[in-house]
Amino acid sequence: MTVQRNNNWLRWAVPLAVILLLALLPAASPDIFYLSIGVILFMYVALASSWNIIGGYSGYISFGHGAFFGIGAYVVAVLLIKFGYSPFLTCFLGGILSALFALIVGYPVLRLKGPYFSIATLCLGLAVPVLVNNLPEAVTGGGQGLFMPLMKIDIFLSRTIYYEVMLVLAVGTTLLARWILNSKFGLGLNAIRENENTAETIGVNSTVLKLQAFVFSAFLVGVIGGIYAYYRTYVDTATVFDPNLSIAIVMMAIFGGSTTWQGPVIGAIILTLIDQVLISAFPGAPAEISRLIYGLILVLVIMFMPSGIMHFLLNKFKHSSPPETANEVS
Amino acid sequence: MTSGYEILQDLAGGIFVGFAYALLSAGFSLTWGVTRVINLAHSAFALVGSYITLTLLKTAGIDPLISILFILPVLFLLGIATHQFIVKPTAKRAREITGPSMVLTFGLFMIVENLLAIIFKDDDRVLTSQYSNISFHLGPVSVALTSVISLILAIISLAILYFFLNGTYTGKAVRAVWQDRQGAMLSGINVEKVTSITYGVSFATAGIAGLCLIFMYSVTPYIGFSWLVFVFLISILGGLGSIIGAAVGGMIVGLIVSAGSAFIPLAYINLVLFVLLIIVLLVRPSGLFRR
Repeated sequence: MTVQRNNNWLRWAVPLAVILLLALLPAASPDIFYLSIGVILFMYVALASSWNIIGGYSGYISFGHGAFFGIGAYVVAVLLIKFGYSPFLTCFLGGILSALFALIVGYPVLRLKGPYFSIATLCLGLAVPVLVNNLPEAVTGGGQGLFMPLMKIDIFLSRTIYYEVMLVLAVGTTLLARWILNSKFGLGLNAIRENENTAETIGVNSTVLKLQAFVFSAFLVGVIGGIYAYYRTYVDTATVFDPNLSIAIVMMAIFGGSTTWQGPVIGAIILTLIDQVLISAFPGAPAEISRLIYGLILVLVIMFMPSGIMHFLLNKFKHSSPPETANEVS
Repeated sequence: MTSGYEILQDLAGGIFVGFAYALLSAGFSLTWGVTRVINLAHSAFALVGSYITLTLLKTAGIDPLISILFILPVLFLLGIATHQFIVKPTAKRAREITGPSMVLTFGLFMIVENLLAIIFKDDDRVLTSQYSNISFHLGPVSVALTSVISLILAIISLAILYFFLNGTYTGKAVRAVWQDRQGAMLSGINVEKVTSITYGVSFATAGIAGLCLIFMYSVTPYIGFSWLVFVFLISILGGLGSIIGAAVGGMIVGLIVSAGSAFIPLAYINLVLFVLLIIVLLVRPSGLFRR
């Protein structure tokens, strides 16, 4: 019993200590390189956690979240350049516009199931940048993209600001995702994932629930995209609507274990670090080698832990949870 | 100005390209249907076919059409190996395979793509064979010999695939496993063997599709992703697992891409295809041609 209480106490104290340490890291004036890695790392944690609300909990695997990210980024860039509004406020507007867009496309697209949904969202992610590119050039800067003014402060300080903001976003989205998972909303989404028809017969309004999850997830991703745009100080359709971003988020969440709230965090941390380590480990080697190893890791991890790392760990350490049922397919 | 001849020319081009994509999609929907695996690496294996042809021609001067004899066994074995060593072990451990399969095969996609990039370097390759630079006129339309060869190759392959699935015992077993895995097992079908063969056939057709495409386009190791988008569109438009559906879907997509470029900016074509996809999915979720 005491062991269990200890565990509960540790469960809060350890993550809190880690987050505090991370938040205080800039005070130790590290190399700017580490702050930049921190920004990217926290961004992916936040993105994967946000994605997981629709992709993991309800099982609707979206390959189009890059569209929401890019919309948020463009809203922030345009409002900063045209009106000089601060990105730290307008990022929420970016989120709202992403959410609105998600509402409009989500209504028809969420009627599709399984891989059909995934493919439709993939095409969505490819179609939106085309639309943005063809908006009036005065607004979106056309093919050249938009350059934003830099913050007029020391670069270390500005990096620290981005670092802290991204950390807040990462912790915030993770806590939100955790809260949702244990709420009635999250339970409904889980029911949809396990069996949508059965969920409906026991009174889960799947149409509304899925749409809410999709829109909320898009809102969070839009906000993150807005902050990222200011961090880069430059947006164009190729960078903020990169299809690789949409795919990377999915990989991270599933890799870590998309049915849990911790999974996307773990997946984002591991895959981002592997990416960074591989780049710095073979500085002279062509990028192909590091990407090859990255692919190899994806294959090996999914082969041995198809439901993700977190699920694997839970099964290993919690004997109470039911063992994974074998799949009859192949 | 776009003249009537140019439109005809574009339409012809669309049919040539469409059938190559149709062949690529047929194999993709086969593994999707039989094992519920979304094989994102499918187009990467098509590229393996393209590069086999290129390499054989360049190093040994082997005719691109003869290289089919190399592509077929190599990709058939690659397919069986992928099933035996990667897909099957994963499916045994997984509760549900479709989600993990996308990460798994994307990893595989990265492996194949980057191996090709390491071996063949990141530049455009064009197939220059004895068939290149020959064209003839069909009425007002000028047609390249390579496009015709590619078209014939794709149609023959699709026909063989159709005959295999509908006329042979093994092919019928593949369809049985697709429809009801347990039912197939109960009727004495060796499900594991049939699934392996499905992967072999799927990869082999991908390799031939790669050959068809290299007849018409230059390739780089990174072109796989853009092929994949067409594969998705065609598989869904035509309906999963329907060979005729794949052919028609391929033709529609090919025609839209090539004819569309005569009327609207190329960038908008993705948009048109996306809207078309959504409409088809909402009106006929199982595709234009139900199995």
